[in-house]
Amino acid sequence: MRLLFVLLVFASPASAQDFTYRGFGEVQSTLYPQTTPQDDDRVVVEGRFRFEPAYRAADWLTLSGSIDARLDNLEQVRRAWRVDLRDRGVERPALSLRHAAATLRRRTFAVDVGKLFIRWGKADILNPTDRFAPRDFLEVTDDEFLAVAGVRVQYERGPHSFDAAWVPSFTPSRTPLLGRRWAPLPPETLGTIELVELPAAFPDRPQYGGRWNVLGPGFEFSVSYFDGFNHLPQFAAQPLSDRPAVALQRTYSPLRMAGGDAAVPLRWFTVKGEIASLFTTNEDADDVVLYVVQLERQTGELSLVGGYAGEIVVERRSTFDFAPDRGLTRAFLGRAGYTFNATSDVAFEAAVRQNFDGVWIKGQYSEALGGHWRVTLAGVAIGGNQGDFIGQYRRNSHLQLIARYSF
Amino acid sequence: MNDIPMAVLKRACIAVCMVFALVPAGVAQNEARRIVEEAQRRAESKSQRYEGFLQVLDSKGKVADKRWVFMRLGSHGRSKSVLRFVTPAEVKGVALLIVNHPDRASDQWMWTPALQRERRIALQDRSTRFFGTDFSFEDLEERDVNQYDYRLLGDEAIDGAPCWRIESTPSERKTSQYTKSEVWIRKDNYALAQVESYIKTEVVRRLKYSDFLQVQGIWTGRRMEMNDFRRKSRTILALEKLEYNVPMKEEDFTLQALRNPL
Repeated sequence: MRLLFVLLVFASPASAQDFTYRGFGEVQSTLYPQTTPQDDDRVVVEGRFRFEPAYRAADWLTLSGSIDARLDNLEQVRRAWRVDLRDRGVERPALSLRHAAATLRRRTFAVDVGKLFIRWGKADILNPTDRFAPRDFLEVTDDEFLAVAGVRVQYERGPHSFDAAWVPSFTPSRTPLLGRRWAPLPPETLGTIELVELPAAFPDRPQYGGRWNVLGPGFEFSVSYFDGFNHLPQFAAQPLSDRPAVALQRTYSPLRMAGGDAAVPLRWFTVKGEIASLFTTNEDADDVVLYVVQLERQTGELSLVGGYAGEIVVERRSTFDFAPDRGLTRAFLGRAGYTFNATSDVAFEAAVRQNFDGVWIKGQYSEALGGHWRVTLAGVAIGGNQGDFIGQYRRNSHLQLIARYSF
Repeated sequence: MNDIPMAVLKRACIAVCMVFALVPAGVAQNEARRIVEEAQRRAESKSQRYEGFLQVLDSKGKVADKRWVFMRLGSHGRSKSVLRFVTPAEVKGVALLIVNHPDRASDQWMWTPALQRERRIALQDRSTRFFGTDFSFEDLEERDVNQYDYRLLGDEAIDGAPCWRIESTPSERKTSQYTKSEVWIRKDNYALAQVESYIKTEVVRRLKYSDFLQVQGIWTGRRMEMNDFRRKSRTILALEKLEYNVPMKEEDFTLQALRNPL
């Protein structure tokens, strides 16, 4: 706060044109035709309001933020009316500071301080190098990014850009709630063992990373390095002594990542690739290499992205973790979109595991009504085997209706 | 004379005929190029800024309004532009950075705030419509005189104003979705009056300029109407608060700046 005050004092007065905002109010209704062994709720309704102001306090200083307010019918949103600054609770916060940043820019040098979105990867369907990008996986297939608190420094020189990030406070990905339909629990545990969730053990060491990106005339590539923690948890299980129950605690493995990505536009397609080697010192977590190769093409009103995400397990050690990034590997991934006219479009996404043990298909139609309203109707079909990351959610196929008012 | 073989005489005659046939074509090329160069010289400015009000009218009569702010630094072939949507609300903040090059196609990146990432627009994707308008990504590039070959086709009036009608064909180093374009340049002020773009022999888009005004010494058509004949739709772009030679900074035309909401 003191830094913010100093920045505002030294900033020269700005005009009203230097203030802008955007946001939306949205109601999202989800209908699950099937119940699951742990959850018989079929309808989830969530209301959300977002306000994103930005103010250019001086030529060299921009302040921007984003505030979310939410409410739902199933208490996946915490009923506590205080602003959650860190956003690392089990449930979604009712009021949260989603993003808040001071951006200082001088020539080709920029520093962002605050709660930031840091996205590095180039691929569109899975980003193994995005290590500063935790997500809200409360509903696993409808995830969204969470910001991290830290400092980011960017420098551009000709075709080269350098990016360094330092994140002293850890933000984990939000995992599905125990006892709810998206919880990744083996069915044999249901009804036989009582599960008690202990507070998560968050790492207290800062995370840092760097990226060097080159923009060439016919190619683009980058290399990146990360030293920190996996934002996806492992679960440590301990039997409780006082009753027949098991305590689960989320822990986060130390992680080092060396990776890179590249994009090369060819005559018919743009080829994009991304690879990350993920190594940990945790004896209960795997060392893996994740990679994605995709082809991308936009022609007329049709956009197509298709590719393969792979995984090489260098050393297998893990016992019980929640890893959607790995869950979408060894799979063919694709996305297609078609724009009918200025107001309506349709999109399809799919992930098919190479052994067909898990299939996820999403289709959605979206129509803008006037300058502010948009209605989206989506259907998600999930199939497969219980032992597969995607297949375990086979009873979670659903329909979604979203009405959004943007301003 | 008898010593000169008939075949050689024939060849000489053909060569002379070819020279005479090529002279008018060459003159037409030079003249066309001179006109386009002059048009480019008169439109030259250090920078440009305007607020664009767009109306997209589809084949069924549906109308969608959009508004963007456009800024350009530098001039033909070496300019950089940023175009940022202001309305409708759901696309507010979506921005496009165009870095033009004198010797090749431009580089383009689009920033989508909802995704928090920029995407490079690949060359083969430039024929795609830009965010639901009838302008393709390529149409938003700045044309540099040296990236095309020209041929004067004749004179023709547009909206009563006498114009030169010039064919422009992308040179070998220029990648374009269009096989050729026909450009109408007004004789009274060298302002662009109309551009028809062809794929093979079919006219696929027509951009027509109107509402001409001399702004800071530069004649500018402040209303553009882009017709997409294949989709049977059109987009009208009105330039508001148009200014030239506004002080701008190089650092506002970078990927870093593109991510900034202001």
